[in-house]
Amino acid sequence: MKILSPLDSLEEVAPLAAAGAGEFFCGVLEEEWYGKYPVISINRRPAGKGHFRRFADLKAAADAAHDKGIPVYYTVNEHYYIEAQYPLIKKYIDGALEAAVDALIVSDFGLIAWLEENGYDIPLHISTGGTVFNRRSALFYKELGIQNITFPRHLDIDELQDLTAGMPDIETTAFILNSRCINVDGYCTFQHGLAGKEIFPMFRNACMLPFEVQIMTSGNPAQQMSAPGHSLMLDRQKVWEKVHVDDHPCGACALYEFREMGIGSVKVVGRGNPTERKAGDVAFLKELIDMLENEQPDRAAFRAHARKRYQETYDRSCRMHMCYYPRVMTDE
Amino acid sequence: MDQALFISKRENLSYFTPDFTRIYFGQEFCERLMPGAKDLAEVLAFADEQGVGFSLVTPYVTNKGLDALEKLLPMLAERRPDAEVVCNDWGVLHLLRSDYPVLVPVLGRLLNKNKRGPRIMNIIDKVPPETRDYFVGTNLDVPAAAGFLKKRGVYRVEFDNLLQGLDLDKADPEIHKSLYLPFAFVSTTRFCLTANCDSAEGADYVGIMPCGRECKEYTFGMANPVMGMPLIRKGNTLFFINETIPEVVNKGGVDRVVIQPEIPI
Repeated sequence: MKILSPLDSLEEVAPLAAAGAGEFFCGVLEEEWYGKYPVISINRRPAGKGHFRRFADLKAAADAAHDKGIPVYYTVNEHYYIEAQYPLIKKYIDGALEAAVDALIVSDFGLIAWLEENGYDIPLHISTGGTVFNRRSALFYKELGIQNITFPRHLDIDELQDLTAGMPDIETTAFILNSRCINVDGYCTFQHGLAGKEIFPMFRNACMLPFEVQIMTSGNPAQQMSAPGHSLMLDRQKVWEKVHVDDHPCGACALYEFREMGIGSVKVVGRGNPTERKAGDVAFLKELIDMLENEQPDRAAFRAHARKRYQETYDRSCRMHMCYYPRVMTDE
Repeated sequence: MDQALFISKRENLSYFTPDFTRIYFGQEFCERLMPGAKDLAEVLAFADEQGVGFSLVTPYVTNKGLDALEKLLPMLAERRPDAEVVCNDWGVLHLLRSDYPVLVPVLGRLLNKNKRGPRIMNIIDKVPPETRDYFVGTNLDVPAAAGFLKKRGVYRVEFDNLLQGLDLDKADPEIHKSLYLPFAFVSTTRFCLTANCDSAEGADYVGIMPCGRECKEYTFGMANPVMGMPLIRKGNTLFFINETIPEVVNKGGVDRVVIQPEIPI
């Protein structure tokens, strides 16, 4: 099982490789795109940190990664593109191919079709935006020639076990650390924002905003329910404000099951994070995967070790709302 | 102009009037809320009596949901071989194509990824024209995208009534377009916060959990100033209301209006 790590610069290749990254994913955002589309990304990350700024820099990083035997996957995974964007998209794809990236991470069926029509011969990976919740979806993408699927965050361990047991022969990736989105990425139509309290609310991820919540008896806002005793429900609705705050959400306990399922790689979210954090995340997972593969612990022993290492690494206890696969906290 | 009534429960056939030429029945957002065979049979019988078209609306599904759907489709294919199936999951489209080619696939609004967040209205007049074109546009203006759908038998795509407007002038004319009124979906989750919302147990649990169909009882209004309008959380999905008939209807850009008298959860 490999660790799929974010990569933002040439300088990050060595420390992330040393920490145990087995694959990199990255994106490019140049001024020309930003000038036309300041609030729309080409790759699900709007302006700001987390992008290579020049294709020459991407090429240098890809060369350095390849020297270490690590493939580099390139994100062009916005949910849809319109025709007017394609001249720029072509430039972005051609630039990535010249940089010798190893695969494109895509989501839009229009782009997948366009790549085929235009004779591009490069492996395609389906982003979590591709919403593979069932065996038929996996087959749908397999028949399109897709090589790898990143699962949605919104499958529990039992569902992943069921799904991977009946999948066609296709590589798989599952989320493991950071940015536990409350909504299904591929079915979320908010314009993607940024995390962080310093971000102006207009451009912050919509799911991170504090909402004033009211209970209604029907879809009609005028029919608000005012009976007492509903604080429980209101509190429950506001839980989501705590989820996508990037307070180290983690699914490391599920590595045990992922290994049994044959999941090929686990994804660390975090383009734009400081290098030290990325390296720390990767090293945390690498030690756990090494333990699984070398010591073959039983599940309880592995869970206990993963939780201990989480607390030591991130200086916080496991919390239900920060657990990517919360069944692992209730199954013992 | 085709006018369809969209209901997610059989009892809502009471909204039917002779103005409607088609009935949409089913569920887009939660596989647990898919209709059973009995309800489907009754709604099909009603559609037959009224002499109107029928579209089964299907959600995104896990393997479990896929299995449940496979119990409905044989009856639909036998009873109404001309029926449409609105697909909000690529796996469901794959299933139709391979096992039920007689049924007519429609691309649901969840697979139509237009940006819908109401915050767009704060900036739509300030962004560069290229960005505005993106927000009101569709990938159906990309010949490869339209060809992809047509190759798979999809000649109709469902649209929400975007606050920022919808420009379908460049979209492939061979693909028919439907417009949903007045509820537009914004986002959906399987970490349903309505599930067990009236129970203290699991109040801090954010994940996929069993539920008591609390969505049938509770609806939540959610307000934040930057949204410019309240969002509505019904079950696992966020909606907004847009009752304004958009220009695209009068321009002939859509040939079917899908009326939702209630939030379709």
